[in-house]
Order: sequence, then C-alpha cells, then structure tokens
Amino acid sequence: MNAQGRLPATGAGATGWRAFLYLLMIAIAVASAFPLVWMVLSSLKTPAEAMQTPPVWIPQTPSLDSYQKVADLISVGRSFMNSAVIAGITTAGILLTSLMAGFAFAKYRFRYREALFAITIATMFLPPIVTLIPLYRLVGSIGLNASLAGVIIPNLANAFGIFLMRQFIAGVPDELLEAARLDGASEFRILFRIVAPAVAPALAALALFAFVYHWNSYLWPLTVLQGNADNYPIVISLSRLLSYNRSAVNTGLVMAGATLAVLPPLILFVFLQRFFVRTITASGMTGQ
Amino acid sequence: MIGLRKSIFAMLAPGLGLIAVFILVPIALTVWLAFTKWSVQTPFSSATFIGLDNFREIFGSTSVGRDFKGAMINTALYSVLSIVLILPLSVVFGMLIHQAELKGANLLRTILFATYMVPMIAVALVFSKLYSPTEGPFNQILSWVGIGPQPWLSSPDTALVSIVLLNVWQQVGYFTILIIAGLTQIPTSIYEAARMDGARGPALFGYMTLPLLRRTLLFSAVIALINAVQVFEPVALITQGGPVGSTNVMTYHIRRVGIERAQGGLGSAMSVTLLLALVITVTAVFAFARREDRR
Repeated sequence: MNAQGRLPATGAGATGWRAFLYLLMIAIAVASAFPLVWMVLSSLKTPAEAMQTPPVWIPQTPSLDSYQKVADLISVGRSFMNSAVIAGITTAGILLTSLMAGFAFAKYRFRYREALFAITIATMFLPPIVTLIPLYRLVGSIGLNASLAGVIIPNLANAFGIFLMRQFIAGVPDELLEAARLDGASEFRILFRIVAPAVAPALAALALFAFVYHWNSYLWPLTVLQGNADNYPIVISLSRLLSYNRSAVNTGLVMAGATLAVLPPLILFVFLQRFFVRTITASGMTGQ
Repeated sequence: MIGLRKSIFAMLAPGLGLIAVFILVPIALTVWLAFTKWSVQTPFSSATFIGLDNFREIFGSTSVGRDFKGAMINTALYSVLSIVLILPLSVVFGMLIHQAELKGANLLRTILFATYMVPMIAVALVFSKLYSPTEGPFNQILSWVGIGPQPWLSSPDTALVSIVLLNVWQQVGYFTILIIAGLTQIPTSIYEAARMDGARGPALFGYMTLPLLRRTLLFSAVIALINAVQVFEPVALITQGGPVGSTNVMTYHIRRVGIERAQGGLGSAMSVTLLLALVITVTAVFAFARREDRR
C-alpha cells in the first residue's frame, strides 16, 4: 500500500511533502500532549512560580507540596476508593449483562428479536440529561439517594455493550456451540466457557471503555449523591478544589488534583488500548 | 425447547430489564411530567396535569422562555462548531496516521486517543488555567506570533468557542480512530484502479476517499452531536453558564431548572423539546444522506 494517493509520485516534491507531513505529525502530537504536560509541570510549581507573568513553563524548584495540600483538603484515599468501587462494579455488571444479552441477540432466534434489538440500540443515542430528572426521583423513591448503589445500579447495563457483544459473538462459529450442546453443556456454560473466551479482546475493550467512562462520569454521581461527600468519587471531590481556582496562587494545587484524577484512566488505557483500537475497527460500529 | 426458551429469557432479562427500568421508564416519565406541574422533591403522584403550559412558558417571552431559547441556541451553536471542527480534523489526522506511512504514526494515534481518557473535569480545570488571560500559556503563545491577548472564558464573545476548543481537543482522537476504522474498510484495490486511471492527490481524495467515507462521516457526525449536547462539566465548574448566559447550554440549564430549582415539570418539558429536536435533526440528516445515496 503506497500512501494511497496523498503523495506526488516521485522526486524532490515528494521529499518535501513527506518532510511537511512529518512536521505536521509532530505539531499535532505536541498540541495534543501539551495540556497534559503543562498540567503535570504546573502541579510541581511553587505558588510564587504559578503567579509569574509571563508564565514559567518548567518549574525551577519542583515540589510535591501541592499534592500534600490536595490530600489535606479532600480525602483522596476515600475518593479513589469510591471511584474504584463505582467504576469497578459498574464495569463488571456491564460485562455480564452485555455478554448475556449480546449472546441472545446473536445466537438465538426468537419473536420480536429485531424489534427488541432496535429499541435497545436506540437508547445508545439518548443523551442522559433527557432522563435525568425522573431518574433522580426514581432512584430516590427506591431509597438509593446519596448512596453508591444509587450511582451504580442504573448503569449496570447499556446498549453500547450489548451491541458490541452481539457483533463479536455473531462471529463465533455455530458449530462450536452445537458441539458443546451435543456434549450436554447448558447454555450458560456454553456462554461462559466457549463464547466469552472467544470474544476476550472485545470484552477487554468494553471493560476499558466502561471503566474509564464511569471513572470519569460526573453528571449522574453529582446529581444522585446530593452533597454526601463521604461517597464522592475523585472527579467530584476535585470540584471542591475549584473554590481555589480563582487565584493563580493555587494553580499548583488544582493541577495536582487534576493529575491525580487523570492517572488511573490513563494507566489503564496504556495497558488496554491495543484491544480498544482493534475492537472499534472490527466492530462495524462506524456505519460501514 | 422449553429449556432453550427459558435460557433466552434468562440471558435477556438482566440487560433489557435494567434498560427498561432505568432508561425506557424514565423516558415515558419525562414525557408525562412535561405536561404537569411537579416538584422533583415530591413523589410522582403529586404531579398535576397542566396541559401545554410548560411548553408555552419555555417558548414564551418571560425570563424562563428567554433562558431556555438561549440555551437551545447555545447548544446548537456549540454542536455545529464542534462538528465542523472535529470531522475535518479527524479526517486529516486519520489519513495522516493510516495512509501516509510515516514512522511514529501509531504513537501519534496513541497520544491523540489518550486525551479521550482524561476526565472532563480535569480537562476543564487544566484549560481554565491555560486560558487564564495573564498567567496562562495560551495568550503567551499568541504573543509570540504577534496576536494580542484574548479574553477566552471571560468574555461573552469568546467563552462558548473556548469551551468548543477544549471539547475538540478532548474528542478529536476518538473520532480519528473512527475515521481510521472507516479507512481500513476501503479496499486497496479501489485505490489502485483509480490510480491506474490517472487519479492523483486531491482528485483521489475528493472522488474516492471522501465518498467511500460517507457512512463513517455520517455516523461520526451523529455521535459528535450527541456528545456535544452532553457538555456539562466545563460550564458547571468554570463559567456557570456565563458570562451573560453565553455558555448556558441545555444539559446545564435543564439540570439547574429541573433538579436544583426542583421544577421537575418545567425541566421535563425542556428535556422533551431537546429530545424532539435531536430526533428531527438526526432523521433529517439520514434522510438527506439517503437521497444523496440514490443520486
């Protein structure tokens, strides 16, 4: 595959063009990474340095004081724990419900299958704000307000996961399932022993997506937790640092908090990203 | 066969049951509540039917109507700006990564995509500092190329665009992946045939790549729209809808009315209007695309 028509055929023009493309690539990478690099650098600045105009980019005397101050202001450990519980349990639930429903949609024939699937998929395009008001009341009326369970339970299944699993499970050969059925395996045994391992990369991608999404999620926890700071995930605890955001003196503090919140999803991403990219590409979810 | 039917039900029940209870039922409730006067602090049974009053109010000329229409316009503007920036950039980035055969392309893809993993709250906090008129690096960088300081988030003229830019920064990597996924579906043989016929550079892009990416672009535009409607954190945290209402967007406004001010009926009417607007827009886009397909 030769650069599919983006390049002039040969000669000096081609070299200049390639040099330009490399410069463009570097520029995009720098622009993309800059805010995060600046965030980490600023979290190491002293208050005096954060005040300087024009701004100093590289801290002269890097210090971790800002992180200490964040820990003094918000209960970092507890918030991380809450985030981990919310994102962890929600992800486990999504994997399970998506695997099961995706299997049913992919491998069984039953009445109303297409209609049920269409309704499920339609919810994928629904902005959460549309249902926020009654959902808030609904969760309150079953006594889950201000609790982690209230954050978690409404999100234990979603259309994206079901869609993704159906796409990948459809590719598992029927002969494998039939052979297991002849051996007397139950449907659930077939699902967990044969189908799940066969779609493991897609499951890994879904796990990354779900975990990061619910780690980062802000609107729903903010609404349902109603100021119960004991149950705040890290992203909401962070908003408490905001009262310090007005003054440049506290830039280091705010950036240290942001850095702490960014680290877990980024670390997870580094380990799982290859599954994610491959899964999006292979899922046919881009309308092809 | 009875056993199999039981299995099918057992497989579907958890997922579809949760979606029914926590998405479909709330949609129905939203539609019903939109025609009622109801405080979110009281049970659903306390809602009293008031016909179209909520809709009259949100489209009326009182401050409620003005705020709502402002939020609709801001959201539309925000969505359009996000889409017209994200789609062309992601096509350029996608082609650069997928087709130009450059060393380090995969690294660029990883860096671009990593921004999508950053919690929006952190993005909002970081950009609020980057945008800072005096201590922020953006104005410093602009000054190097001879552009004067911009007010960014602090002026009604630039605040919404500033939030669009941070949204573009965060999301463009995800859409680049979608475009790359679309590009990988285009058979190389099509390109070879086109080149054999003498197609080069811009012609190849305009007559081959873009048309073959049409479905991907359409899907991406819809996703970008749905994402844009959800913008909340930067507004809630930094601008609170200001200055002078210039960043008051729908998700923020509906939550403020329906939850914080507890006007559940009024907020639900806004939600229903938003949903209808989205359904009409998306249907129109698809209908338009289908007509183009036939031509």
